Amino acid sequence: MMEGAAVEIEYLKKRYGKFVALAGVSLSVPRGTVFGLLGPNGAGKSTLVKSLLTIIRPTECRGKMLGQRIGDRKTLARVGYLPEHARFPEYLTGREVVHYSAGMTGVAGPMAKERTERLLERVGMAEWGGKKVKTYSKGMKQRIGLAQALVNEPEIVFLDEPTDGVDPEGRIEIREMIEAMREEGRTVFVNSHLLGEVEQVADEVAILSQGRVIRSGKVSELTGAGSRYELRTLGPVPPGLREKLEGAGLEVAGDRVVIAAQDASEVQTVIDALRAAGVVIRELKETRLSLEELFLSAVQGAREEGLAR
Amino acid sequence: MRVALAILGDSFRLLRAKKLFWVALWISLLVALMYASIGFDEEGLTALFGFQHFENPILRAGTPEAAAFYVMLFTDLIVKFWLAWFAVALALVSTASIFPDFIAEGSIGISLSKPVSRLRLFLLKYFGGLLFVACQVGLFTLVVFLALGFRVGEWNFTVFWAVPVVTFVFSLLYCVAVCVGVWTRSTLFALLGAFLMWGAALLGQWTESGIYQYAYFNPESGIVVDYQTGEVSQGAPTEKSTEAIAAHKTAKAVVMPLPKTRDATNSLKRLIRIPERDSLLSGVTWDMLMTGQMPDPALAEATRRLEDRHSVWYIFGTSAIFEVVVLGFAAWVFCRRDY
Repeated sequence: MMEGAAVEIEYLKKRYGKFVALAGVSLSVPRGTVFGLLGPNGAGKSTLVKSLLTIIRPTECRGKMLGQRIGDRKTLARVGYLPEHARFPEYLTGREVVHYSAGMTGVAGPMAKERTERLLERVGMAEWGGKKVKTYSKGMKQRIGLAQALVNEPEIVFLDEPTDGVDPEGRIEIREMIEAMREEGRTVFVNSHLLGEVEQVADEVAILSQGRVIRSGKVSELTGAGSRYELRTLGPVPPGLREKLEGAGLEVAGDRVVIAAQDASEVQTVIDALRAAGVVIRELKETRLSLEELFLSAVQGAREEGLAR
Repeated sequence: MRVALAILGDSFRLLRAKKLFWVALWISLLVALMYASIGFDEEGLTALFGFQHFENPILRAGTPEAAAFYVMLFTDLIVKFWLAWFAVALALVSTASIFPDFIAEGSIGISLSKPVSRLRLFLLKYFGGLLFVACQVGLFTLVVFLALGFRVGEWNFTVFWAVPVVTFVFSLLYCVAVCVGVWTRSTLFALLGAFLMWGAALLGQWTESGIYQYAYFNPESGIVVDYQTGEVSQGAPTEKSTEAIAAHKTAKAVVMPLPKTRDATNSLKRLIRIPERDSLLSGVTWDMLMTGQMPDPALAEATRRLEDRHSVWYIFGTSAIFEVVVLGFAAWVFCRRDY
């Protein structure tokens, strides 16, 4: 992993009239990592990315991208972008779309040609490169979108809902491409509401809700923070013991007992209590919070907090 | 430079992909070929490359009248109608969607995320749209130039003035389409806006021209119109009315801020310099030819003054100011907007 942050947002605010889309977001994206920005629809994910790419003018913005002030136009030559619902001119072929993108970022002619061919090959569109975009499926358009985002060999690539409308096989391929980008040392900023996919590929995530970052950090730390143990008994837990365990804050359902604990030593007292009551333990396993559970609890918590305010 | 080439190259591809571009181009070529097909022989005039023959005692091969007639066909008929109306209207219909499509969600983001300033992007895209007309009129004029050369020996490079002038006329309306398109994001409104502006500009120019004729042309050429009966008679020049002159001044001032589409196209007659021929058609206009009027020195002089009444500054300068203002507003909206 390279040193320093690819994106360092100190403060980012975007307001549309009275509606606050981003309420002073602060965020740091380390270089050479895959960063997932999660959030429900309307949370402000696309607004944040568009603000970084000058597509939207933020109301207030302090921060740096690739060492330069956010909004610096020259820096955009080192950035790649695949927008959500990308629409490419239907009169162009896939090859022309990638070539146009190369021209727009100032890539020299022969180099642009070479990179275009290489990228078409890489995204599996070499055979279709000469066909018009209007003949492409959604998945093919996304592949061309990825190719055009990479044609300037960017240091950071923003992918807004990259797997939207793509079939399962295509999703796996896109995930592999994202991993390959990381291998090449690029920073990949993925906007998505498909948590399972982000969990598989992202090193760090931030959860955005109602224009605020409500949780952020390394995926392993965030999901690990909610580590717990799940214990199964032979037959349901006796009612008397169940009441006791629930009273101690444990989650009991039939033959299942869930214990929130950072390590196994905290589970021993529960095992002792069950054994003392003659309950046979048939399974004990350590589980971690999934990103989905983390996301749901974080968003729910933020909503409740918002209502309470 | 690479960015400019990328955007202009994209504009060419867009034109190439538009069916209407090809339709307009083929119609243009057809009109130009129809013109080129007109010729002269010892007995009169031929059309469709000799397929049709019309006997005429005056318009015969080698006569100065034939050359004058052929040139007049271009300046008074083709420029006035085809280039001023149909070519511009077809181009407007074809290009009105360029900006609304460009700024559509999912499309604009890719261009704006590149290291190109919004203003540069806007202007390059705008000039790309003008290519439509420049290409069409360029090809059309080339055929006309060759026809004039081969048919009547008139190798006249001034006919190529049609390319910048018609492109300029188109740009005056296209800037309105761009402005409305950027503002509303709707092709339909863009088209409607451009045609409404065209209508308003024409109405203004016709009104100014009508009042000029009443205030200057009729008294100078001795034309008296009886507005009760509609009868027109011609006699000696009469006194100009000060009220009519004042009314014309007012009309001219009102029309001043509008684009001079008609006047600019008409100015092509001044820009396309045809050497004077000592022919029976000297001083005869297309309208005179059609109505059988004989040239009258006073009328010819008044007509010349009518056609030349506006300075180049008035026609092109004020129109250019209009374009700069409208385009400036469109650029401001384009540059300030969140996409």
